[in-house]
Amino acid sequence: MGQPPFESVVATHHGEIFRYLQRVTSRSSEADDLSQETFVRAFRAYGGLPPDSNVRAWLFTIATNLSRNHFRAERRRLRAHAAVGETRGEIDGAGPEGETLFREARTIVEAVVDRLPVKQRLAFLLRKVHDLDYDAVGQGLGCSAETARAHVFQALRKIRHGLNGHNVPARAEA
Amino acid sequence: MNTNRADCRALEDDVIAVATGEAIGDEGFRVHAHTATCDGCRAMLDRYRRIDMATWALRTTALPSMNGARERLDARLADLRSRALAYGIFPSPLGQLLIARSEQGVSLVEYLNGDADMAGSRLHRRGIEAREDAEAVTSLYRELMEFLEGRCTRLDWPLDMRLARSDFHRAVLQVTTGIPYGAVASYAGIACDVGKPAATRAVAQALRWNPLAIVVPCHRVIGTSGALVGYAGHHVDLKQRLLALEGVQAEPAGDQFRIRRNASYVHCPGDDSYCLPSCPSLTKMDHPHRLRFFGSRQRAEAAGLVPCDCCHPELHPITP
Repeated sequence: MGQPPFESVVATHHGEIFRYLQRVTSRSSEADDLSQETFVRAFRAYGGLPPDSNVRAWLFTIATNLSRNHFRAERRRLRAHAAVGETRGEIDGAGPEGETLFREARTIVEAVVDRLPVKQRLAFLLRKVHDLDYDAVGQGLGCSAETARAHVFQALRKIRHGLNGHNVPARAEA
Repeated sequence: MNTNRADCRALEDDVIAVATGEAIGDEGFRVHAHTATCDGCRAMLDRYRRIDMATWALRTTALPSMNGARERLDARLADLRSRALAYGIFPSPLGQLLIARSEQGVSLVEYLNGDADMAGSRLHRRGIEAREDAEAVTSLYRELMEFLEGRCTRLDWPLDMRLARSDFHRAVLQVTTGIPYGAVASYAGIACDVGKPAATRAVAQALRWNPLAIVVPCHRVIGTSGALVGYAGHHVDLKQRLLALEGVQAEPAGDQFRIRRNASYVHCPGDDSYCLPSCPSLTKMDHPHRLRFFGSRQRAEAAGLVPCDCCHPELHPITP
C-alpha cells in the first residue's frame, strides 16, 4: 500500500490550509504565497513521510512554521499588538439589536485575534478554528502540548479583556 | 459572595476550560462548586461561554475568495513535477556514469570522479530536485552501454536541456547534437554555426559544461589543428576512445592526440556530398573551420552523404 498521490492531498487540504493562512495573515495575497510555499514544501517532503502520518496535522505544522518565519521577518505583528486596547472604543456605541451585537462580538474577537502575539494567535486559530489537538498545535509551534494550551488560554483571556464592557449576547436573535 | 479575588483568579483557567470545551479533569466540579456562591465568577463563566460561541462563529465568517489560488498551486506543482529528476549511477567502460532524466527527457549524463562521488555532480546545484531512482533510467543506461560497445550508433533520446546555463549554451549543445556519428567538427566551426564566429573559446567553455556527455557528442568537437584539445576535465583519453569507437583515429603527437585531417573524408555542412581533402570544391568555402571530417567512407555514407562528383572519393579512397 503506497501513499495516496499528492494530488489528492492537495484536493483534500488546500482549501482549509488556505483559509487558515488567510486568518493568520489577514491578507489574501500573503495567504496565497504562504499556501503555495506550504504545499511546495510538502510536495518535496511527501515521499519521506512515514506511511501512517497525520497528513492534515503535518500540513498545518508546515503552514504554521512558514507563518512564524513570515512574521519574524515582518515584525509588524508586534507593532500591531501595541494597539489592542484601541479596538473597544471603535466598536462601542454601535447598534443595539441582538444579531448585530453578536456579529460585532465576532468582529471584536476577530480584531483581538488579529492583534495577538504570533504564537497565541497561531495556537488559537489552530485549536479553536481548525480543531487540531494540542499535540499537533505544539508540533506546529515547536513547543509542548501544555505550552500550546497555555497560549490558547492566554488568547482567550485577551479576548475577554478586549470585549470588556461590551455586551456579548448569547446568540444571534432572529 | 464568600470567596476572595485570589481564589477567583486561580480559578480562571478552570473557568475557561469549562466554558470553551477544554476541560480534561475535574475542572467542571471545581467551577460549579465555586460559581454556586460567586456571582463574579458565574458572570465570567457566562462571558467565556459567549466568547466560545463567537469564536465558533469565526469558522463560518466569509473570507475573501481564493481567487485562483488552487490553479496557481496546481500549475506550480506540475512544473516542479516535470522538473524533478530521477537519477541512477552506473558502471561503464569509461568510469562511473550518472544518468538523470525528467518527465521531459534526459537531462544529465556525467562522469563521476572516483567511485560514485556525487560531490561534484550538477545535481547539487541550487533549485534541482533529484531523487535516486535507478529503475527510471535503467533503459537509458542499457542503450548507452550498447552505444559504448559499438552495437548502436544513435542515441535518439528526447533531451531536457534546462541544465544549460544560457541560450548560447543551449544553442551550442543543439548544434553539437547535429554532428553525425563518426565525424568531427571544430570549436571554431561550432562558433560559426551558432552565428558567433569569434566565440571559439566560449564554445569550448560551453562544451566543457556539457550536461549531456556522450549524448550531446562534444567528444566530436576538436581544435582546428586536429588536436583533440580537452575533454571532461583532464580526460582526453576518454575522448580518444569514444572517437576510436566511431572510427575516427587520433594519433599521439607530442603530448596531444591529433586527427589527421588530410587523411579524412571532408564534409562541407549544407552539402549532401563528401569529398577527398584535396577536392578543389573545398577551396571555395567561406569558413573552412566549418568543415567536418569523417574517419571512413562508411560513416560518411551512413550519415546520408554521397560521394562528391568532382573528386570521386569512392574511386580514390584514402589509404591509411
